[in-house]
Amino acid sequence: MANVTNKYPGESRWKGWWYLLPALLVYLLFTFLPILETIRSSFYQWDGFSQNKTWIGIANYVELFSDPKFHNALGNNLIFVIFYSIIPIMIGLFLASLLSRRPIPGFAFFRTALFLPQVISMVVVGVIWRWMFNPTFGPINTFLRQIGLDVFAISWLGDFTWALPAVGGIGTWVQYGFCMVLFLAGMQHIQDEYYEAASLDGANAFRQFIHITVPGLRSEIAVALVTTIIAALRVFDLVYTTTRGGPGESTMVTGFLIYRAAFTNNRIGYAAAIATVLTLIILIISLFIRRFQQQGIEESA
Amino acid sequence: MKKRSIFLSISLALMILLSACAKPASPTDQAPVAGTDEQVLLVWDQFYRDEESKVIETLNAEFEAAHPGVRIQREVKVLADLQTTVKLALANADGPDVAQVNQGRNDMGALVEAGLLLPLNSYLEKYDWGTVFSTSVASRNSFTEDGKTFGTGNLYGVSPTAEVVGVFYNKDLFKKNGWDIPTTFEGFETLLAEIRAADITPISFGSLDGWNAIHEFSAIQHLLVSLDYINNLTYGVNNVSFDIPENRQAAQILQDWTNAGYFSDGFPGIGYDDSNNLFKAGNGAMTITGSWLAPELMVDTDQEFGFFLLPPYEGKTGMAIGGVGIPFAIRKTSEKHDIAAEYLNWMISPRAAELWAEAGMLPAMALPEGSNIDTKNLFGDTLNAWNTINQGNAVGHYIDWATPTFYDILVAELQKLLGGISTPANFTEAVEADYGAYLQSKSE
Repeated sequence: MANVTNKYPGESRWKGWWYLLPALLVYLLFTFLPILETIRSSFYQWDGFSQNKTWIGIANYVELFSDPKFHNALGNNLIFVIFYSIIPIMIGLFLASLLSRRPIPGFAFFRTALFLPQVISMVVVGVIWRWMFNPTFGPINTFLRQIGLDVFAISWLGDFTWALPAVGGIGTWVQYGFCMVLFLAGMQHIQDEYYEAASLDGANAFRQFIHITVPGLRSEIAVALVTTIIAALRVFDLVYTTTRGGPGESTMVTGFLIYRAAFTNNRIGYAAAIATVLTLIILIISLFIRRFQQQGIEESA
Repeated sequence: MKKRSIFLSISLALMILLSACAKPASPTDQAPVAGTDEQVLLVWDQFYRDEESKVIETLNAEFEAAHPGVRIQREVKVLADLQTTVKLALANADGPDVAQVNQGRNDMGALVEAGLLLPLNSYLEKYDWGTVFSTSVASRNSFTEDGKTFGTGNLYGVSPTAEVVGVFYNKDLFKKNGWDIPTTFEGFETLLAEIRAADITPISFGSLDGWNAIHEFSAIQHLLVSLDYINNLTYGVNNVSFDIPENRQAAQILQDWTNAGYFSDGFPGIGYDDSNNLFKAGNGAMTITGSWLAPELMVDTDQEFGFFLLPPYEGKTGMAIGGVGIPFAIRKTSEKHDIAAEYLNWMISPRAAELWAEAGMLPAMALPEGSNIDTKNLFGDTLNAWNTINQGNAVGHYIDWATPTFYDILVAELQKLLGGISTPANFTEAVEADYGAYLQSKSE
């Protein structure tokens, strides 16, 4: 009797695990174990290469939560969320509804051109924009001076007020194309009948957008939110190639603090503690957005 | 100019990409071929620029020719890449036998503390290196055995090149406007005002990358403080403070220059290389940086450049930031200590001095007698400057070696000072907070 559930129907259930094994091993070895190892390291004082590894309990975390540099960096990451996530999603929604409502000539060209920033390596993006923003020969200030707006031709990346929005703006430029393509795909499955019915009832384009397009794209918006917020919270390459956290600490982000602690200050344990806290924050935000998305699905069902 | 910058940017980006993809050395590459007695010496260096790389290639080939049975396997990395990978590599049984290891606490100090570098004291005697470099140079590559005290104890590296921070100037602009090389600091400031009045940028500068701002500040600081002070500060001995009137005065001068418009327009948003390219193209009368820029200013330009030391402040002897370049060190666990030491000796030979000088780089060693190197040029100017401070016991320090976090704090605080959002007093206080905390943690 005891074996019956295993044998019928078909083959024994556990065989399925063999098919999972290769991928599971890779996952365990290269994703799961490093994560565990990072968490473990965060309880040690360690320079990353010597034998002296000392267990110090939660001392790294205690130091982290009272470190004004960490507070400042986390605050900057939150501002990056506006530039990496909120603004690109709004631009993406706007462009997608422009491109999807009626057939326009060169649709494929626009879609590709606007998506292009997304496929360029972030290091290249950083280098290009550093040149764009150059106060002496960069095209942005050259243009501003040509149209007589000399007062606005400032030293963007070196300005205490403008460096953060300038670097954030690069993030917007990179992310909006991704949002737009995502929303364009989502709009394909919103039925035209909704729009017809709405226009018969006298709803203008704006009201149709608010009441049909946006709710219909709830899943896509959730996906866009999760991916762009994660990008904003773990930004490193862009800051590294443009401002290195300066001027002062005005564009310092947590990703850069991790790099600095691990590779220039030889504090692997402290770097691991920052990384662990950052990962937790990202997880919580992602779970929160998923809940919001599922609630929406239940409501509309 | 614009085209050149795009080209530079793109090639830089490609370089970064390529270096990211570069295949790490696998143990099988290094294993000696079975059945032969060939010894392979694995060497990591950071001389990646064309002219520098050629010098190393030549020296390596000559070394192999002079040592039959030894093959050098060279791996070149840019400095930042070397710094982040070399520590782990030196902890490895198949890591490099010889590697360039940056001076200072975070690099050489940490490696000594971990017991990964070979003390070179016996080779110092064997090869009589005491006649090649002075004790002041040796102390820059020295740590106590526990890695805690910098500037004393065992020798852990030998440096092939020397560096001095001073003023590069555009000879054509100087000649055209009748300006002379100033001999006093007062004269230098008068000159700055004159150049500004002529509507030319007095000092080409860009602080976007941060690190070179330390040189602008510290070059002035070196004119005001004593050699003892700068030694104590850098080596972390005798409990000196950063918050002293001389440092505040240096910060004040730097801020005054900023307010007077002596630096490039929009300098906070300009990177180090961009600022140098502008200077090389004839924008700006002077720039304050290290002698390492000389080779680049001697080629591909229609301008002629010279070099002089920042002139002394009234009543003070004055020093210049300077020192020796990144040293070669030996991995403690390597089994080829003797041949590795032979290689180090080769790197600081008279022949090496000659090759570096031909490339326009200052050698740390004296040039051999009778060598016919052209010194009536920019290289000659930097050589004179180096000889002046070396013989006058006026070789200062890179102050960012002082604490493990000194570089970060100096860059951030100097950008605030230059941006006018902090005062010279704020600056010295904030830096002292870091320095004092480090001294305290060291004594615990």
